[in-house]
Amino acid sequence: MTADNWSFVFAAYGLAVVVLVTYWRFLVRRERELSEGDTLRRHGSGMPEPQTEHRSP
Amino acid sequence: MKRLLGVVTAVGLVAGLVMAFGIAPREATQGNVQRIMYLHVPSVWVAYLAFAVVLVASVVYLVRRAEAADRLAHASAEVGVLFTGLTIATGSIWGKPTWGTWWTWDARLTTVSILFVMYLGYLLLRGMIDDRERGARFAAVLGIVAAFNIPLVHFSVYWWRTLHQPPSLMKPGPSTMPGVIVAALLVNFAAFTLLYVYFVTRRARVLRLEAEAEA
Repeated sequence: MTADNWSFVFAAYGLAVVVLVTYWRFLVRRERELSEGDTLRRHGSGMPEPQTEHRSP
Repeated sequence: MKRLLGVVTAVGLVAGLVMAFGIAPREATQGNVQRIMYLHVPSVWVAYLAFAVVLVASVVYLVRRAEAADRLAHASAEVGVLFTGLTIATGSIWGKPTWGTWWTWDARLTTVSILFVMYLGYLLLRGMIDDRERGARFAAVLGIVAAFNIPLVHFSVYWWRTLHQPPSLMKPGPSTMPGVIVAALLVNFAAFTLLYVYFVTRRARVLRLEAEAEA
C-alpha cells in the first residue's frame, strides 16, 4: 500500500488557491481604482458620464 | 456578462474539486498524491493555451496594429506566466513523494522553465520600454519567437529520455486512463479554461483603463 502523502496534496492545492485568489483580488482592486479615477477625470473635465441606453418598457 | 462568467467559472472550479476529491478514485500506484494531477495538468493546458493566444494576437497586432490585439497578448502572457509558475510549483510538490526529489534537470522540467523565463522576459520587456507602440511591437516579435518553445515543451518527453512521464491525455489516440479519471480531468480542463477566459477578460479591461488613464 502506497503512502498517501496528503500533506503534499494540500500544499499543492493550497498554493494554487493562494496564488489564484491573490491575482483575482489584484485584478478587482486595480479595475476599481482605475474606474474610480476615470469617473473623477470625467467630473473634473466636464465630460459627460457614459450613459447606459434607457428603453421604455 | 463579467459577473456571469465569474459565477460559471466558480461553479466549474467547485465541480472540478468535487471530481478530483469526491468522484475520481484513489490511484493504485501513487495513492492520493496523484490527485495533484487534476491541478497540475489543467494548469499546463492553460499555459499552452495562453501562449498560443499570445502568438495569434501578436501576429494580428503586427499586421493590423490593433491595440486590442496587443492588450489581449499582454493579458494572455501574464495569465500564462501565472499558470506556468503554478505548473512548475505543483509539479515539484508532486515530484518529491513520487520521484524522491523536488527538482531535476529533466528535459520536460528544463524546457518548461525556459518557457517560464521567456514569457517573464516578455512581461519585463513590456515594462522596460516607455514608448507604448514600440514596446508593443518588440513584445509582439518576442511573443511569436517564444511560442516556438511550446512544441519543444510538449514533445520533450518523446525526443529525450526523461523522468517525466509522456502525456496521458494531450496525445493522439485514445487515453489509457480509466474513464472516471479522464472525466475528472476534462471537468478540470473546462474549469481552468473558463478561469483563463475570466482572468484574461478582466486583465485586458484593466490594461485598457490604464491606457486611457495615461492618455
